[in-house]
Amino acid sequence: MKFRPLSLFAGLAAIIPAVSLSAAEPLAELLRERLASVVAVEITVALEIDRSVDTVNGIVVDREGTVILESGAINDRLTPDQLVEIRVYRADAPATDYATAEYLGRDIYTGWHFVRIAPEGRTGLRPITDFAGPNPPAEPGLADPLWGIGLRKKDEDFRPYFLMSRVSMVQPLPQLMAIMLEDTAGRGLPAFDLDGNFVGIGTSGFGESMLVYSGRSRGPVPSLFVNPEESSALRLAADVLPYLHRIPDDVYGRPLPWFGIDGIQPLDPEVAAYLGLDNGVGLVISDVLAQSPAEAGGLLPRDIIVELGSVPLPRLKPENVVTVFLQREIARQRPGDVLSVTVLRDGNRLELPITIGEAPKTPKEAERQYFEDLGLTIREFVYNDANDRRSDPTQLTGVVAHFVNSSSPVGVAGLQYDDWIQQIDGEPVTSFAQAVLLLEAVKSSGRPEVVLLVKRGGETSVLRVRLNGTGPTG
Amino acid sequence: MIRLLPLVFALVAMPIPAFADMSRGFRQLLDAVVRIDVREYAIEAGSKRFTSGVGSGVIVSQDGMILTNAHVVGKRAVEINVTLANLERVSARLVGWDHWTDLALIQLDADEIQKRNLRFTVSRFGDSDDLYPGQEVFAVGTPHGLTRTVTRGIISNPRRYFSDSRGVRGYETGMFNTWLQTDAAINPGNSGGPLVTADGHVVGINSRGYLSADNLGFAIPASTAQRIVEGLERDGEITRSYIGVVPGALQDLENFYDLEINTGMLINSIDPGSPADRAGLRAGDIVLAINEAPVDGRFPEQLPPIHHLIATQPVGSELRLMVKRGAESSDFNVTTERLVSRVGEEAVLDAWGLSVREVSRAYARENQLPDASGVLIIGVQRGFPGATAGLSVGDVITKVNDQTVDSLQVVQTAVEAYAANPASVLVEARRQFRVSLYVLKP
Repeated sequence: MKFRPLSLFAGLAAIIPAVSLSAAEPLAELLRERLASVVAVEITVALEIDRSVDTVNGIVVDREGTVILESGAINDRLTPDQLVEIRVYRADAPATDYATAEYLGRDIYTGWHFVRIAPEGRTGLRPITDFAGPNPPAEPGLADPLWGIGLRKKDEDFRPYFLMSRVSMVQPLPQLMAIMLEDTAGRGLPAFDLDGNFVGIGTSGFGESMLVYSGRSRGPVPSLFVNPEESSALRLAADVLPYLHRIPDDVYGRPLPWFGIDGIQPLDPEVAAYLGLDNGVGLVISDVLAQSPAEAGGLLPRDIIVELGSVPLPRLKPENVVTVFLQREIARQRPGDVLSVTVLRDGNRLELPITIGEAPKTPKEAERQYFEDLGLTIREFVYNDANDRRSDPTQLTGVVAHFVNSSSPVGVAGLQYDDWIQQIDGEPVTSFAQAVLLLEAVKSSGRPEVVLLVKRGGETSVLRVRLNGTGPTG
Repeated sequence: MIRLLPLVFALVAMPIPAFADMSRGFRQLLDAVVRIDVREYAIEAGSKRFTSGVGSGVIVSQDGMILTNAHVVGKRAVEINVTLANLERVSARLVGWDHWTDLALIQLDADEIQKRNLRFTVSRFGDSDDLYPGQEVFAVGTPHGLTRTVTRGIISNPRRYFSDSRGVRGYETGMFNTWLQTDAAINPGNSGGPLVTADGHVVGINSRGYLSADNLGFAIPASTAQRIVEGLERDGEITRSYIGVVPGALQDLENFYDLEINTGMLINSIDPGSPADRAGLRAGDIVLAINEAPVDGRFPEQLPPIHHLIATQPVGSELRLMVKRGAESSDFNVTTERLVSRVGEEAVLDAWGLSVREVSRAYARENQLPDASGVLIIGVQRGFPGATAGLSVGDVITKVNDQTVDSLQVVQTAVEAYAANPASVLVEARRQFRVSLYVLKP
């Protein structure tokens, strides 16, 4: 944890006199008022054999008690029903005083998870939009001073603290980001300008590259240092405020727009020049997924996307940001929308209208069941599983080992997480329901063993699982 | 999997006085053991670079054929120097190479032998199938460059199963034969030297040692070596048949599969697109017989003879596999194809600063590639057009300008054209499953 009261105050003493404070109110007062928009969210997760508890920061976005959490706040492998309890704590309130909340789902475009605080816990909260300032929000300029809020941990009653720094650069990645000189806001917490206007959210994903010299290695070793609590990267208000209403229709994040291309690679500027692309930007499609909207719309692998909706792709740096731009443009659509894509194919330009579809069942939505005796959770094999394994996604057979207890019978037999179970006791697995029946039959039969045929990295192998109580397993 | 260290590359030469008090046969054998100094080129850096190594060998015929390890003398050897027992040095040439058994055959330069009137002795093979655990054996060779070193030990296990998918210079090894395990001290440089009985009969070719273990050495049995010598002398290589079945030991699964004891071979995996795949065989099937001959793959060491049986069928011949699937037994006809290594033909593209390797069927299967087209980049030289354009090791070049790369030749021709008349070239390459474009500029 990074928190240095002394150096922080020393830093402030240096900064504040240098900044001409035009704010009507002192920053301390602005901060106190804005605490009504921040919360700490404690999420209890039920796993197969234990539970985990994590605390993340959240921002209140409306008067219905809706709170956004940054995308990394909840592990993507978890299903909504594994989130057994969500507690919301106010800054500086006793930790015994909390409200419960329900999970609303994750928005594919912004990546935010939405939770909603129970009505009795909403009193005194204010949405961040109350502090939005001018519309559209002004983009902070280089060297502008910005300040933000941090929250201590539960053992300190989530006490708020003050952070401040100046803008080092502003860049679209492709969300508009301000990179600050120092950590300026807690992760997932807001930052403001000197007038108290909301300017952005501290985001994860930024670290400092350092060289570490030690006696054990000959030269410097590059290391990445990431502050898990605070951030020096702010997602700016222009990329936050318009999307606060994007609460998914269901806990799985639906509707989920589906385009159906994979392995999107940005063109090197040299290649773009060689191909005569005016603005030097293009994206190569590696794969067009089976039965996807992209396939139906006539896209082919190796097509080079140059325009979206008849507008050339933006020139963003580094080049892979263009890939993210495309993914986000797709994520912003709704199923049924038509996105026109201009591609370069064999030197010719083609404009293809693609009707956005609804994504096939995701691993998160897939059925799953835990078999305690085996130490195994099996999960339905879905479209993405087939794609990930380079197998035909129109033939969905077998089940996925979603959880393997390493000291359980299946773990000892060598089964690993994410293995593709194709046969159980010599019987080809054609559906999830059948796999459940087969494994339940094993359990009730009292048999000493079960034989699994599993596929891992393109190779299969036959695993003999000795069941408990039938002698040594070594 | 067991990782074994190939025993090559020792640099110091120091003659050691010969042994006293030994049988005539053993003395004769000592005269047939040679030291081999090899200079070869390596291409992994995106250019040709020379390297050298030292190993051992044993003379097996009157016309100067010497048996050694495939990892001692490789296909890129440019200079092979043999030091005979009488310390005379003679040059030699590579006759044949087989990484699967880790054996290579080289031949002394006959003109030189004749001109200098040099003499050498030919070794005699013993019966490696008759060896028993505990039998006394000797290893003779050039450990760490110490010419003519004899070490003594016993046969620790006459039938050890071992295979390694990259064991011989990145090529596959093992699989088709079991190995002799001995505790006779075997060190780097012993490679290619003989393992012999007290009366001087060659029963094995020393090849590998267990990494960071004491006295766990491995040798290719003479019965295998003799067969390979014949093939290499005749064809320079060993052609094997392949059907794409990866067996697993049945061990104690007989009950589950309802098999009589000592019957059947479990299919653990089927290579996609292989003859077995096309014939409809599936993982989990039990092969009961091949061409009416019953198979027994209960233990790992019983698998090499089965592999060998398949490998020695003529390429393109039809094998009849009797297979048990569930309660049913039925016959499958599988047409064999030629076994290829995952390591394809290699070349250096000097003008682009790239070393490349043809994608083989085996490599394509192993990496789940859609087909075996393209060439794999195995070396990149910084500051050359390939590296500057962003190509890196592991990329598979699939297209050059508008031409699909279906052979090494396509790329080589393009590079020659580039070298003669440098102009920008558009290259399409796949990294994992992602397609990217690159421009190689003069």
